[in-house]
Amino acid sequence: MGAIDQEALARPRQEKWISVVAYGIAVIVVGILPAFLSSYIQGVITRFLIFALFSVGYNVVFGYLGLPSLGHAAYFGAGGYVIAVLKMHYDIDLFWVGAPLGILMATFIAAMFGILALRVSGIYFLLVTFALGQLLYSVAWNVKWLNTPGMQGIAGLSLPSFGTGGWTLDPISFYYLVLVITVICIYLIRKIANSPFGHALIGIREGEGRMRTLGYNTWLYKYFAFVISVIFSGVAGVLFGYYNYVISPTHLGVGTSFLPMCMCIIGGTGTLLGPVIGAALIIFVELFASIMTPERWPLTLGGLFVLTIMFAREGVGVYLAKLWNKMSHPYGSIKS
Amino acid sequence: MEALRVEDLSINFGGVKAVNNVSFSVEVGKRLAIIGPNGAGKTTLFNLINGQLSPTAGRILFFDQDVTDLPTHRRAHLGQARAFQLISLLQNLTVLENTLLTLHGTKPHRFKMFRQIRDFKEVFGQAVDELKKVGLWEKRDELVQNLSYGEQRRLEIYLGLCMQPKLLLLDEPSAGSTKEECTDIIGIIKNLESDITVLIVDHDMDMVFGLAERIIVLHYGEIIADGTPEEVQTDQRVREIYMGVEECIDYASDR
Repeated sequence: MGAIDQEALARPRQEKWISVVAYGIAVIVVGILPAFLSSYIQGVITRFLIFALFSVGYNVVFGYLGLPSLGHAAYFGAGGYVIAVLKMHYDIDLFWVGAPLGILMATFIAAMFGILALRVSGIYFLLVTFALGQLLYSVAWNVKWLNTPGMQGIAGLSLPSFGTGGWTLDPISFYYLVLVITVICIYLIRKIANSPFGHALIGIREGEGRMRTLGYNTWLYKYFAFVISVIFSGVAGVLFGYYNYVISPTHLGVGTSFLPMCMCIIGGTGTLLGPVIGAALIIFVELFASIMTPERWPLTLGGLFVLTIMFAREGVGVYLAKLWNKMSHPYGSIKS
Repeated sequence: MEALRVEDLSINFGGVKAVNNVSFSVEVGKRLAIIGPNGAGKTTLFNLINGQLSPTAGRILFFDQDVTDLPTHRRAHLGQARAFQLISLLQNLTVLENTLLTLHGTKPHRFKMFRQIRDFKEVFGQAVDELKKVGLWEKRDELVQNLSYGEQRRLEIYLGLCMQPKLLLLDEPSAGSTKEECTDIIGIIKNLESDITVLIVDHDMDMVFGLAERIIVLHYGEIIADGTPEEVQTDQRVREIYMGVEECIDYASDR
């Protein structure tokens, strides 16, 4: 068994140093470079990380499980709203209180909504999650307690404090906080994707009926996957609340729900790092678009989407990975 | 001992009685074939036994346990395995992934989230053994959709077997296979251990008469004959309904 095992698991040697180099570059770009950039760009990169985390978590449901959810912003926004309400009504900006409560709130809502939404699949799942998301949107819009007087949403948030007297977060240390949390979360999702549980999710996407005959309780898997995915939405939402200083009903609505879906599709659905690439593309293209033609951002996003669907249907991330394979193995030594 | 007992089983789709008052029982280790014209309710009966559908009336006992209301996955844990009429392997996954998913399905650690699937060395080793037995180890990283139809059939049946079932439900194992592949499949089923009960639905008479110790003939959801191949062969109603009145081929006397 030992020899066979190694034969099965062995990877080409070349791939190893390539990945070391790639990781090295990634560490430099996201780990060291931002410290020397302007605080505006730091903010944009923080935003990118938050949405990368959001869409990698979303991908658990959308990519691995194959269920299109159009309501993940509800849980994302719920995390942010918990932060905002704590700050506005109770003047608590302690990270150790806000973050767990925000994540718990998102998980709790998902645990209820999941039961409703998972009664159906396919396009109906999209519609039900969409409706449930809009439900929270209108609650946030109409309940006075959830709005700062004179506006829709809650303003006046701040970066979190850690209960360490005298030292408060500045944007760059908040950036590193987001970076660490994002990396840990993506690592956890990678673990889950490679586990028997993660494989079962892909199996359910490919053929739920067969998975049932094999002995998998597919409903329970879908429910767990949905809740797990939402936990990461909650984490991203909490970070977003701290980052954005303002949280409004739009952050619960379909416009925000659409973003992670779009990032997954553009980056590569069902791959671990595809959504990260999708998030990078969207956030940074948005940055340049807002400098050049701010009012035409939706058009730009639409164009980006159409181009991806036409020329890199499996996603830009997958396309790049294939291109990289071709370049590093010019004689076609690697399959597909 | 009875492996399976079906009592007064009925299911209606609207006004259509797809399965109507069907009762039979199978002893452990028997090979039972269910035949009948198209639309007789054979696959529906399988769906009831395996839990894809729940009956309008009647009971299903599996090793003396009432499984009528159990979902499919629970029945899999009790020892039912099924190969579908249309191949149900996960087409976009590789042969190895399909095998691993099959093996993990009835294991308690199938919910584990933070351990890599390949770290379960024991299961992985078992998958390696199974694939070598089927002769598909070389193609382990091929997508299932790139295998030939016969290979897919064989893989599906072997995967059903490596769940170590007590009851194997084979829905048209011969469909779309060549003569040699059919012989191959007959060989696999004949060599099964004698404590595995096998139910076969098939139109291929070589398969049915080559394997079955007992045959049930369904017609419009009702059992019209039940007996050894010879008995069914000579039954007048079966001749009329199933094989046509005029020309009927004498399979039993061929052997």
